[in-house]
Amino acid sequence: MNNLEKYNKAFMEILNVAELDLESLEYQKISAWDSVGHMQLIAALEDIFDIMFDTDDIIDFSSYVKGKELIAKYGVTI
Amino acid sequence: MIQGKTAVITGCLQGIGRSTLDIFAKSGATIFACSLKKTDEYTFHLSELYQRYNSEIIPVYFDMMDNEAVKSAAREIQRHKKNIDILVNIAGMNHDAMFPMVTMTDMQDTFQVDFFAQIIFSQYIVKLMQRGGNGGSIINTSSISGLDGRAGQLSYASAKSALVAATKTMAIELGPHKIRVNAIAPGMIDTDMYQNVPSEIVSAKVQATQLKRMGKPEEVANTILFLASDLSSHITGQVIRIDGGMGA
Repeated sequence: MNNLEKYNKAFMEILNVAELDLESLEYQKISAWDSVGHMQLIAALEDIFDIMFDTDDIIDFSSYVKGKELIAKYGVTI
Repeated sequence: MIQGKTAVITGCLQGIGRSTLDIFAKSGATIFACSLKKTDEYTFHLSELYQRYNSEIIPVYFDMMDNEAVKSAAREIQRHKKNIDILVNIAGMNHDAMFPMVTMTDMQDTFQVDFFAQIIFSQYIVKLMQRGGNGGSIINTSSISGLDGRAGQLSYASAKSALVAATKTMAIELGPHKIRVNAIAPGMIDTDMYQNVPSEIVSAKVQATQLKRMGKPEEVANTILFLASDLSSHITGQVIRIDGGMGA
């Protein structure tokens, strides 16, 4: 499984969304991606990619697309 | 009570932190034992605990004055890939000075160690608590100074008071994640902190307690153990005084 597939899988499993909906996915735009879902998603991504987000990046993680950009800061290419 | 659980404890080098480390090891927990520095005595103590109780103890060294070091420590803990069940924030510092003599530097240092670093560290560790989905327990170490105020302790009392507010707020926000957050407020406990306090002051303070004695570090550690365990499973957002009835 490549990094993009791992990234997508985390979103799909934790937020219970379809792959087709990922590109337009934004924080708090669906009920599953509330603050609770956000923490679960961040924790899962940290585990999957063996990184630890800075608090500022957790706050900035506002969408599926933005998340890819932020993860790149930690040396993970998606 | 906490057999098989994994705990992160800060301030393990001495005092209340050391006693908490000992009691948690005796109780069968796996422990990330955090402290400012490594000493021969401390290293020997850790090996003794391992031999006596067969508890896994992983030492982690970092300075809470340095936020990057705090993050690195959390990262080090994360790399072990263990679900964290318990976080006990004990590390602290104190700059005594009367209100007109409190310097901004002392106040900033005290807040950095006693408040900011604890919140930052908790933010990192909470994410490791969520891995298993079983929640967890966080215990913050406030002080009766933070509840009642104390002459000469403006910085310390203010930082410890802020920690009470943080504890209650964290309890509200983390409740849905099954994470309980409580604080302890020790009074006069027989630790190194009192070594340089004049005996007449110690004596007067002892008289202000209902039990007419100083508390022992292990008595505080026992309360921490209770809050860490499922025996306190319906307790969150609370501050427990351990002060021999000083505030009664």
